Amino acid sequence: MYPEARAVKLAWTLPTVRPGRSIARRGRWNLARRQAAFGVAIILPTLAVLAVFRFLPMLQALYLSVTAYDLVHPPRFVGWANFVSLLHDPLFLKSARVSVTYVVCSVVPVLPLSLGLAVLFNQSVFVKNVLRSAIFMPVVMPAVVMAVVWTFMYQQDGVVNTLLGFLGIDPIPWLRSSATALWAVILIGIWRATPYYMVIFLAGLQAIPADYYDAAKIDGAGRWGTFRYITLPLLKPTMLLVIVMNVIVAMKVFAVPMIMTGGGPADSTRVLPLFIYQTAFEFFDMGRAAAMSVFLFVAVMVFSFVQVRLFTRGEESR
Amino acid sequence: MTAAPREAVRRGNASRLGWMRRAMRRRAAIVASAVLAAIACVTLLPFYWMLSSSLRTMETMFRLPIQWMPWPPNWQAYALAWHAQDFTRYFLNSGFVAVAITLSNLLLCSLAGYSLTKFHYRGRGVTFLAILSTMMLPLEVTMVPLFLIIKRLDWANTYQGLIVPFLVDGFGVFLMRQYMMSIPKDLIDSARIDGASEFRIFWMIILPLCKPALVALAVFTFREAWDMYIWPLIIITKDSLRTLPLGISLFMSSYGTSWDQLMAIAVLGTLPMILLFFFLQRAFIQGIAATGLKE
Repeated sequence: MYPEARAVKLAWTLPTVRPGRSIARRGRWNLARRQAAFGVAIILPTLAVLAVFRFLPMLQALYLSVTAYDLVHPPRFVGWANFVSLLHDPLFLKSARVSVTYVVCSVVPVLPLSLGLAVLFNQSVFVKNVLRSAIFMPVVMPAVVMAVVWTFMYQQDGVVNTLLGFLGIDPIPWLRSSATALWAVILIGIWRATPYYMVIFLAGLQAIPADYYDAAKIDGAGRWGTFRYITLPLLKPTMLLVIVMNVIVAMKVFAVPMIMTGGGPADSTRVLPLFIYQTAFEFFDMGRAAAMSVFLFVAVMVFSFVQVRLFTRGEESR
Repeated sequence: MTAAPREAVRRGNASRLGWMRRAMRRRAAIVASAVLAAIACVTLLPFYWMLSSSLRTMETMFRLPIQWMPWPPNWQAYALAWHAQDFTRYFLNSGFVAVAITLSNLLLCSLAGYSLTKFHYRGRGVTFLAILSTMMLPLEVTMVPLFLIIKRLDWANTYQGLIVPFLVDGFGVFLMRQYMMSIPKDLIDSARIDGASEFRIFWMIILPLCKPALVALAVFTFREAWDMYIWPLIIITKDSLRTLPLGISLFMSSYGTSWDQLMAIAVLGTLPMILLFFFLQRAFIQGIAATGLKE
């Protein structure tokens, strides 16, 4: 325990047991209290901002989700009606399915890709810094710019189809067909996410003590054995974190489908955040949008909970 | 074929073995570099294509065979695009908003992190968990009521509407707290004995010690703020308050097929981030790495 804290506790419980030292103790008590007051004061602005702009909206979302509200008439309580009608709305179910497809298909390939890249970079490579910067570049491109540039590249006579033509593949109507539009969007997600998580894996790899590898070498372990029995197990927490972070990011994808397709063709790229946005700010059905937000919140919460547990692991004793 | 190394071992010719091992390691490095270079081509293609297409004329835009290097370069698109909309204004708006959000995050996150690591008061643990749990409340979940709150405050179409909800971020607080845990308490105590005021201790001693974490947080926050799209889209309708992402998406919907101009604007919108990346490369990558786990 902290000596200060103990002193404060003592001062609380035994203020006048030893009158001879009470003045000194009271002085110390005041000092400790002043310090604690400063500590509380400097965190208050943060708490105020988070309370008003994070927690209050969440509570309000819960309230709105059981009302009908069109911004013109005052909110009217409707009970579960929003949730029930959502679960029977083919558009919502389709949107949820699109979101799940997007999340699964953009998260699964990123894991081996980013880990593989990190492993390659973790050994001796020529012009390592140049290559690392080059591969990192997608993280730097703003999401809106990315949407514009890839829309251009995905045109029927655009560069993607031209390059595929070199491989003998016929032009693909990327964004104009409901069969391919979602995959086009997913590919961009992978393009952007892979370097990001590569950096996190690299940090994880570099945190593994070199002794482990030296010991494995002495025991005669080969490259694959070292990777399989030392690197992978030690990277497990990092891998879990990468999956969780990536899932959360993928669930929130908005700018790319919004700009590239607006949710079409035939609703094939209308991910949940996009549907929430359209319901609220194009159809002004705030209650329904809030009910959708609650669904999204539950999904995000499950994964965030794992993330928070990872971040705070080993701190229970404190 | 295998006789040579065995022979070398028998004779104890260590230098020959070492040479072979070096050659093998070299070959592995060559293979790895080649693979990475191929992947780098994929990651860089959109950048190259954006830049080269911004220098093409519309007539040669889709011409085959593919023209990798447009010659002579056509710079017209930049001026045309820039003046088609008030992009100077959008740039300044984005810059102002991103800088304001970054500065306030630096201050508030480090103050909160300092409070959570070096002071003792009742409810500190719960406070930390509450701050951390805001990571579960992304904008995409809270945008509807947040919009209503901003409207109630009459902050739609204002800078404060763009900035104030993001003055501080739960993740930033977490980052600063983790870093500050490693700062010894003795340092603070001895400064107190020397008679320094609490705020002075924070400003003159703690903040300078946190420089690496602050740089990482700044780069991370600035990137997110520069990237912000959904929130300005909801609360900004006035042209003079549009941020760059809004301006670009508007330009896309009204000049959808002027690809030369669109690519020119795309280049200009990426340029600040590329410059930031090249000057602060280490901080940039550390800022991302810091979002991972600390051992």
